[in-house]
Amino acid sequence: MKINVVRSVLDASDALAAENRRRMDEARLLCVNLLSAPGSGKTTLLEKSLPALGEGIRAGVLVGDLQTTRDAERLAGAAAQVTQINTGRGCHLSPAQVAQGLSGLDLADLDYLFIENVGNMVCPAAFDLGEHRRAVLLSVPEGDDKVAKYPTLFQKADVILLTKVDLVGVLDYRFDRVRDDLAKVNTAAPVIRCSPKTGDGVAEWVAWLREQRAAMPR
Amino acid sequence: MHEMSIATGMLQGVLKAAAEHGATRVEEVEVELGAMRLIVPEALEMAWEVLVEGTPAAGSRLKMTEVPIRAKCRECGRTYEAEVGSFACPTCGQADVEIVAGDDIILKSVICRTGEEAPEP
Repeated sequence: MKINVVRSVLDASDALAAENRRRMDEARLLCVNLLSAPGSGKTTLLEKSLPALGEGIRAGVLVGDLQTTRDAERLAGAAAQVTQINTGRGCHLSPAQVAQGLSGLDLADLDYLFIENVGNMVCPAAFDLGEHRRAVLLSVPEGDDKVAKYPTLFQKADVILLTKVDLVGVLDYRFDRVRDDLAKVNTAAPVIRCSPKTGDGVAEWVAWLREQRAAMPR
Repeated sequence: MHEMSIATGMLQGVLKAAAEHGATRVEEVEVELGAMRLIVPEALEMAWEVLVEGTPAAGSRLKMTEVPIRAKCRECGRTYEAEVGSFACPTCGQADVEIVAGDDIILKSVICRTGEEAPEP
């Protein structure tokens, strides 16, 4: 017997993501999913930018990692609320894990929620978690060829942050190569060059975040 | 290895369809893999084999077809087939696109057996 089904395998996952988004819409907070390889500077970016969001602005962070609570400990000073999600062997955060994480947060008391996804350039790109915007980071030490190598990650980005730009010159890295690859992959997302370590470009990222939050339906 | 998550979602759909039709055994599962999802067929097969163990889908075959990417240019509205990594519009050159096909994983059909049917030779 042949049963015709024709149903998206991702339906259940996408429904959970939609429910996450509804909860965050209700709380009127902007949720940004941060995606990148491990070590590109997601945690450092948040450490440096959350205090710059403005007085009285409260940000929460859901941090995904296979193991340890190190990132959550690092962010405890900068964020109003932090929850670490250990995925064990999971190579990406799932909307179900995010739903659980949301339940541990007081959403009504937040203006922003950042989801720091598991460091990985392939798997996290395939799953909607319920975020409003996707930020993709690419650090200088990773090389200027990664947009061409992992195009699906960059295609789905709403903003692209080129991090650790203080290392340009030390390493063989050219912005024009990144720009040329992005011309084939994503010309809509703004590209922000930054170094959270030195503080360069952080203001531009913060301005982008404020703009996105202001554009949310009230 | 997000193939494990995908296989888990597939199995839920397959078992639901089988149960709705009173099937006791699943023999073949047909699935369409959107090229944007970067599924490695061998990895999906491996995940499937592990997951189906002890379920009515144990030992079932996967019939996988890759669906090419179709992009719609947000600048000029043209719809065209795109390759992974080369999404730019052939007309206006912009890479500001909406992916309209090849970004999903679709469970197409399930071939199964009910208790009364004789097993395949």
